[in-house]
Amino acid sequence: MSDRSRYPGYDVLAKRETPSWDEPTRRAIDKRLHVSTAARFLTAAEWAGADALCRRILPQDEEGETVPLAALLDAKLFADHGDGFREADMPYMREAWRAGLAALEAEAKARYDGHSFAAISIDDQDSLIAMMQKGLLSAAHWPGLDAQRFFERRVLVDVPALYYGHPKAWSEIGFGGPASPRGYVRLEGDRRDPWEAAEAVSGQEEAARRLNQHVV
Amino acid sequence: MIVNAARRLNRAAGMIAGSVLIDSAMEHHRGYFHNKLMWTPIATSSLSIAASFHGHTDRRHGAHRVRDVIYALAGVTGIVGTAFHLYNVTKKVGGWSWQNLFYSAPIGAPAAMSLCGLMGFLAERVRDNEPGSKPTIAGVNAGRVVAALTGASLLGTTAEAGLLHFRGAFHNPAMALPVTMPPIAAGLLAVAAVGRARVPRPASRKWLAATAAMGVAGVAFHAYGVSRGMGGWRNWRQNAFAGPPLPAPPAFTGLALAGLAALALLAAYPDE
Repeated sequence: MSDRSRYPGYDVLAKRETPSWDEPTRRAIDKRLHVSTAARFLTAAEWAGADALCRRILPQDEEGETVPLAALLDAKLFADHGDGFREADMPYMREAWRAGLAALEAEAKARYDGHSFAAISIDDQDSLIAMMQKGLLSAAHWPGLDAQRFFERRVLVDVPALYYGHPKAWSEIGFGGPASPRGYVRLEGDRRDPWEAAEAVSGQEEAARRLNQHVV
Repeated sequence: MIVNAARRLNRAAGMIAGSVLIDSAMEHHRGYFHNKLMWTPIATSSLSIAASFHGHTDRRHGAHRVRDVIYALAGVTGIVGTAFHLYNVTKKVGGWSWQNLFYSAPIGAPAAMSLCGLMGFLAERVRDNEPGSKPTIAGVNAGRVVAALTGASLLGTTAEAGLLHFRGAFHNPAMALPVTMPPIAAGLLAVAAVGRARVPRPASRKWLAATAAMGVAGVAFHAYGVSRGMGGWRNWRQNAFAGPPLPAPPAFTGLALAGLAALALLAAYPDE
């Protein structure tokens, strides 16, 4: 956790063995922490493309601990737990991602001398993503899938959800994780339960850091 | 007998003060003593406990000046506290609404502090009577005064329990007890206050004793309620604060004990 954090010294995983969490909570969170790093649904090429895309959607400080977004996406697609609904103009989750990643790959190869999406520069990746967002990509590479809709309904929904479902992101934003079994007592604004992250006031980061050493 | 009746009232006041001390300490800790005035009931209820214990050990006639001051302080604290809690309700979004009555600072809680002061005040007034005389308060038979005021107090405490048990949807049938037994006890005390003095009223005494026992049993029921919260007692730091208040029910015990003291006074010093 960098010093710029608004919750200095806070690690949501310190709550693991406290009354805040019980066995089912720990099991659910452990599953996210120990996600398979070997592809189970995506091909190696799709994985590389998804990894590059995720890094541009949610850039992370590569020096520190990162959330393995490509691995989490692969696990999500492998498990195939959908949204519970499907919009009429969108394919099912698995097909949408497979088609979207293939289309991005084809766009990159067509525009950048046959280089795959993962291999082109970050600026080129960003301009491709921007064109996808604005609906400026050629329909030829997007059979059965609208590029703009793929960006809005899958990329912008799934990637942030995977990021903010991970304990590393919880520590970053001062989220306490599942309120199960222990919820909260002091529900008014700016009142803190002892098992909540302490937010730093500018200039008083040490006070918050001390509190965050004992979030139990 | 006069001193013994006064001592019983001292003990009743002490019982209520103990309930207020623990309840306000827990609830105001939950509120982080956000307003420094939230320390007030901790101080006044502690003093009231000390005064009540002193009164319990004191076998002399005559009101005690320091005890009187402390009990007066408790009475005033309760009234001011009620005003503060009312203000707390009105400044919430929505103002006067069931939501805010249920979940803001409890209106009835500070009133218990006043009831403690009232019982203490009555204790000192009873004690202030000459040995061997028929005890009176402001010229009225003391037993009648204590019975009437204790009965009214029981109704007030019932209102608070009723509000919070209604919030809890009376999900456990036992939650109906503190809204049924105390009003009946209050009715019996009202009858005693205006009725004939010489009758022994064994049924009323038994009913008041049962009400006193209910206040103690309430703690056990509330402890069970805490255990039913997710995580149970292991998660006491949430459940003991967000669940049913453990120290609240003995306020009924204190008032029922005062009611018993009133009946004893009426039986010993009939005014007919």
